Amino acid sequence: MRHHLTELVLFSTYAELRAERARSYLGFVWWLAEPAMMMAAFWIVFDVILDTGGRDYLPFLLIGLVVWQWMKSCITHAGHAIWTNLGLIRQVRVPVLIFPFVQMFADTVKFGCVFVLLLAILWLLGFPPNRAYAALPLLLLSIFVCAAGAGLVVAALMPLVPDLRFVIEQVLTVVMFLSGVAFALRNVPDWLMTANPVLVLLDAVRGVLMYGTWPDWPALARATAASFAAGAIGVGLVLRFAPRYPKMAV
Amino acid sequence: MAALVELDRVGVAFRAQRRLGSERYWALEDVSVSLERGHRLGVVGRNGAGKSTLLRLVAGILEPDRGTVRRAPVTCQLLSLTLGFVGHLSGRDNAILSGLLLGLSRRQIEARIEAIREFSELGDFFEQPIASYSSGMVMRLGFSVAIQVEPDVLLIDEVLAVGDAHFQEKSGRALHERLREGCTVVIVSHEESKLADLCDRLLWIEHGRSVMEGPFDEVIAAYHRELHVGEGG
Repeated sequence: MRHHLTELVLFSTYAELRAERARSYLGFVWWLAEPAMMMAAFWIVFDVILDTGGRDYLPFLLIGLVVWQWMKSCITHAGHAIWTNLGLIRQVRVPVLIFPFVQMFADTVKFGCVFVLLLAILWLLGFPPNRAYAALPLLLLSIFVCAAGAGLVVAALMPLVPDLRFVIEQVLTVVMFLSGVAFALRNVPDWLMTANPVLVLLDAVRGVLMYGTWPDWPALARATAASFAAGAIGVGLVLRFAPRYPKMAV
Repeated sequence: MAALVELDRVGVAFRAQRRLGSERYWALEDVSVSLERGHRLGVVGRNGAGKSTLLRLVAGILEPDRGTVRRAPVTCQLLSLTLGFVGHLSGRDNAILSGLLLGLSRRQIEARIEAIREFSELGDFFEQPIASYSSGMVMRLGFSVAIQVEPDVLLIDEVLAVGDAHFQEKSGRALHERLREGCTVVIVSHEESKLADLCDRLLWIEHGRSVMEGPFDEVIAAYHRELHVGEGG
């Protein structure tokens, strides 16, 4: 059956957001309240109680957590998307790639709201907009592609090996600690700087938002290339396994 | 006449369990059938014969593990009720979402949304989340959306009427009207009287293999003979 894919993806994204709003009493408020509570928890533990933060820790933490939460949500939600829609996939011929993308677009809409709030808070904290903001669209696109690449690889494999869902949360926790999300990494080995695109991307966003510095373009190009490669592998895996999904037990 | 869909000795295998090294079983082993424009083909066979798998194969949901499927550039749609329904969304939003999944464009659905609302007899509930509906109301909405889809080949798996007595008659009538419009259709049903009413040809499959295909009366007679022999033996 021929589908009107753009309309299907856009309306499914809207439906996902509407349904999520309806699942709680406070609805949209949680889009901001949930990340705010997490930021407060990290700030209280690492800055107020342990005093490990240092100068400019609060903006450092806010940027790290907002961007990381977006990536993590995209990876986990996209990763589960095909598996949780196996029932639908068994009933109708539909391009399975839409399911992870709907989840990632919904997460990106929520991130957009939080990110605007983040920019306002940074301004209040003494970090006003600067010329390097011009690099933000490219940076955010690179981050999305990075998350999408990882999310699509997980999405492709999850229906075949559902046990992955027990592993993915732990792997993401390790990546978070190795990416300087909540606290600055000191003495980062060169190989980690090269091998972990999340570290490079977060570093670039903080540089733009806090200090008005342009990204390290060669490092950003390497991270973006790695992200696109992961995305291509993810799309390739989903298309490769697509004929097997309707035959999977729900 | 050129076939719209032609299956040549197709087989479809599933894995019984999601475990390393689990055996595959063949839901369809060796089925051949040719569907031409305007054919109204019924499918009979005992439970587990592979009838529903055959429909999903024709719909393009499943790909064969052996044999070949040749399909002209036509749309084949399984009549699926409540496809993609989300409990927290209103009847209207679910109608749009389900219609998009069934292959309609947003514009086509918007043009038919009042017809869907009217046919479903949901009244003001149409704007309420379907989580507040009874199961009968959900099925009414599902049927009202599904009947709007106009594929080249309509595939029906036992869904011949839904809801209470009044709506069963109404939905059954709507479906019959659709079929009388001359669309190509494949119907799986255990209700032989319905098949006799709706189909001009019949495919009989057993244990995933096509036993006989041809004019309805000839095949149903042979099928009954086999059933009686089986019961007698």
